[in-house]
Amino acid sequence: MPVPAQDPRHHRIVVVVIQLIVVSVFLLLFGRIVYLQIYQYDIYSPISERNSVRQQIVNPARGLIFDRHGELIVGNEPSFTITITPLNFDMANIPLLAELTHISEEEILQLVQEARTFSRHRESRLLRDVDFRTFSNIQENLWRLPGINHQVEGKRSYPSEARLSHVLGYLAEVTRGEMTASAFYRLGDLVGRSGIERVYEEDLRGNKGTEFVTVNAFGRSLGPFNQGQLDVNPVQGLNLHTTIDVQLQRVAEELLEGKVGGVVALNPQTGGILAIASAPDYDNSRLAGRMDRSYWQAVNADSLTPLFNRAVATLQPPGSTTKPMMGLIGMRLGLITENTTIHCNGGYMRGRFYRCLRRHGDQTIAQAIETSCNTFFYALMDQIVTRHGLNVWTRMMNDFGMGVTSGADLTGEVRGLVPDSTYFNRVFGVRQWGLGDMINLGIGQGAMGTSPLQMAIATAAIANNGNRVKPHIVDRISYPGGDMELIRPEPERIEWINPVQLRAVQMGMRKAVTDGSGRFYANLRDVAVAGKTGTAQNPHGQNHGWFIAYAPFENPEIVIAVLLQNAGFGSISAAPLAGMMFEQYFYGEIRRPHVYRMMLEFEPAPFNPDRN
Amino acid sequence: MKWYNRFDWVLLISWLVLSIIGLVAIYSATQGPMHQGTAISGNFDRQVLHLGIGLIIIVLMQFLTPQTFMQLSWPGYVLCLIIALLTVFFGIEVGGERNWLNIFGFRLQISEFMKLATVMAIASFLSSQRQYSMEDFKTLFIFLLLIALPVFLITLHGDTGTSLVYIGIIPFLLFWAGLSFGLSLMLVMPAVLAYLTVINIVAAGVVAAVLCGVVFLVDRRPLVSVSAVLLAIAIIIGVQVALTEVLQPHQRARVEAFTNPAVDPHGAGWNVIQAKTAISSGGLYGKGFMQGTQTQLRFLPEQQTDFIFCVISEEFGLVGAGTTLLFFLVLLSRLVYIAGTHKHAYARLTIIGVASVFLVHIIVNLGMATALLPVIGIPLPLISYGGSSFLSFSIMIGLCLNLHFYERNFSIYAS
Repeated sequence: MPVPAQDPRHHRIVVVVIQLIVVSVFLLLFGRIVYLQIYQYDIYSPISERNSVRQQIVNPARGLIFDRHGELIVGNEPSFTITITPLNFDMANIPLLAELTHISEEEILQLVQEARTFSRHRESRLLRDVDFRTFSNIQENLWRLPGINHQVEGKRSYPSEARLSHVLGYLAEVTRGEMTASAFYRLGDLVGRSGIERVYEEDLRGNKGTEFVTVNAFGRSLGPFNQGQLDVNPVQGLNLHTTIDVQLQRVAEELLEGKVGGVVALNPQTGGILAIASAPDYDNSRLAGRMDRSYWQAVNADSLTPLFNRAVATLQPPGSTTKPMMGLIGMRLGLITENTTIHCNGGYMRGRFYRCLRRHGDQTIAQAIETSCNTFFYALMDQIVTRHGLNVWTRMMNDFGMGVTSGADLTGEVRGLVPDSTYFNRVFGVRQWGLGDMINLGIGQGAMGTSPLQMAIATAAIANNGNRVKPHIVDRISYPGGDMELIRPEPERIEWINPVQLRAVQMGMRKAVTDGSGRFYANLRDVAVAGKTGTAQNPHGQNHGWFIAYAPFENPEIVIAVLLQNAGFGSISAAPLAGMMFEQYFYGEIRRPHVYRMMLEFEPAPFNPDRN
Repeated sequence: MKWYNRFDWVLLISWLVLSIIGLVAIYSATQGPMHQGTAISGNFDRQVLHLGIGLIIIVLMQFLTPQTFMQLSWPGYVLCLIIALLTVFFGIEVGGERNWLNIFGFRLQISEFMKLATVMAIASFLSSQRQYSMEDFKTLFIFLLLIALPVFLITLHGDTGTSLVYIGIIPFLLFWAGLSFGLSLMLVMPAVLAYLTVINIVAAGVVAAVLCGVVFLVDRRPLVSVSAVLLAIAIIIGVQVALTEVLQPHQRARVEAFTNPAVDPHGAGWNVIQAKTAISSGGLYGKGFMQGTQTQLRFLPEQQTDFIFCVISEEFGLVGAGTTLLFFLVLLSRLVYIAGTHKHAYARLTIIGVASVFLVHIIVNLGMATALLPVIGIPLPLISYGGSSFLSFSIMIGLCLNLHFYERNFSIYAS
């Protein structure tokens, strides 16, 4: 049926059909707009708001840490951070970014990938703690770098004279595991890794704030949304007030410089730690902000293990410093009284000969502590284990806090070793050990290991008339508005300690300082000090020096335990250090600078990490 | 009859209103605080200049006679082909497309002017024949060749979107020029069925059956009906096989992004989501001039050109978008009306050609903006920013005004 072209009838139909097509196209399009703008309005209107409003996290300032006099130990200082939102970032800008920050392209690429795996939509930190010049470089070129942003945050500063490395601990970026375990952390957040930064992490970190900002399609902020009415301000972390005495701490750290060992000074009434130092230590400020990777590697690789807190984690035989506790155990078990004498003719014979330093003759417990007579305690230990058994002794030693953890708010604390029969059975085998292994324990030698912290707790129990304190660094947590949460654990009474017997031991320790091995350096003119030196035999090299002491003799305020490894006799190594700390504590200054200088120059035998 | 009674004011006013709507939208899309200092901030001033030039050209065109344009049809077509060929070699490349030629500092996009030149050449060719049938092989061949040449060159420019417009006007022109209803329907079948197959294959099958039925009713020739059925089956199966077997998953995602943009919200679906969000969040009355967050914060891609309709919809709501549609409807309907009543074949074909160019542009651009069609970057006539595009559409209107204004003059030279 061929259609003649330009047939008028056909043409009229064509015009009508085309008009119909035009009208129906417009009806269809209009219907579509009505559908979108009226029926889908409720769906897309919120999307358009969300599109242009972005939620940003505002990091709170971390809580401050003060010493017992209110001096600032740990503060915050501004730190410049470059952030990235990977979604909006153009990978082609990596060379530009590398040029502006003076960081290699590979490193930038790696950091970008890291941020991308964390989240493509969320803003995360790319470079932390950049210097101000780099920061302003980036700021000027932000318009060329979509997806890149900057912010000013806080980093830890350490304004005080004391380093307190192990006590305060350091911060490090959260791990992937921590991020999945807690909704709080985001990539690049810092979290306390050791010390009180870790123990009090939840108090110090504060609450994050939220800020709503209007942003454009490139994610660039255009100012607050809704005049900031929906914003939630961050809440600063809680401040910690510690029991640390910064000046005392400084003295301890200075005197430990170049040596290996640990010092603990605490208040025997409360258990508050006044000073706690371990040598060698490290510099927290170099781990704050952007971690100094080479320093971190050096610290980790150092054979002297600076990260190891010797004040709470090193284990050495306590040597003669265990004798005051031995005396109390002996008297409590009724094996001796405060007046019982034991004759020393230069040693003790039981299966074999146990040597004493010299012939002391007849000795009471007080005299035996003063002269540090080994014979007395060999004999006593012999009777304890033969009449009552090793495990009775072990439990009583544990009551002094030796061989058990104290639960102090410190990290890295170890339990220590005060052996019982189970231990010997396990290590030597059942019936494979005997009296010889146990008698040595009477003078703190052999299979025994305690930390300076444990010796300080035991000494405090003698000083405060028989209470085991729970040592702690943080005294109180202060809330905004002046409220305080006090952290003052009650000391625990050691029930079996008898005041009369304790007095004999205290007298012995006092005499040890006035007339015995402590008299050269630890004896102060105006303050009565009581103490006991100790020397831990070290089969691998020079002996380790111990000193425990407290003062004033009546109503003691401070207990000090010092361990200097490879330093020889406690009387000439550890005791002068404690003496200097007593001077600092009681006088607020060093009265015998020559002793101070001597201690500064004191060089212990070279430390051999393979053998100690 | 006074001259002002013969003049088609409806057409001119529609042109003017649409151009001004475009200016307002371009102002909003380019003059916000976010756009200061960017490359597009000068677009508004330039478009004002384009409007001025466009108005002058339209007015000047009314002083020429239709015969002038008829005589210019062939030279114009050849000139445009030459410039298009030059553009292939000397064009400025922007975003993978090489469709601008720099002529004395003015960036000329010849593919825009080519549309009118092609329409005029076809009109001239068909009207020069005393009695023509589109089912005559030679006529059809020349007709298709006239379209294939510019399509070929513009595809070389990399501008496939504009090429599609030329293909889109074929069914309209053939239908108008007297191709039988059945064959005309068969011409639109591929586009309709392929589109429906991507969205919903069942709907495609139903529509195919209906179309074949209509073809059978209007055109009783068995050959045509059987061809229609075979064509429909081939299209549906072919598209389906291409989607599931030939295309890689990511290519398939691109094709499907316009039906389900959530598949790839930051890739192919980004534009679709942002455009839909802009239109929908406008609601009934819109967010207000310069208040559209999607526009002002630059979430909308190409907001002063291809996605300009989203700016209008977001800031002026259904009222603004509906008004724009209404004026387009008036413009198109008027064009079809004057084409239908015109006495001369050249004028009829030219005007209907212009109308179909407008219609295809509107369908493709608004279909894209409202997420009915995949993203194909072609401008919305008279509204999108762009000198070549605006002037080209203005000249088309000017020509139609002229052809209508001098309708009585034709009788002397009537074929």
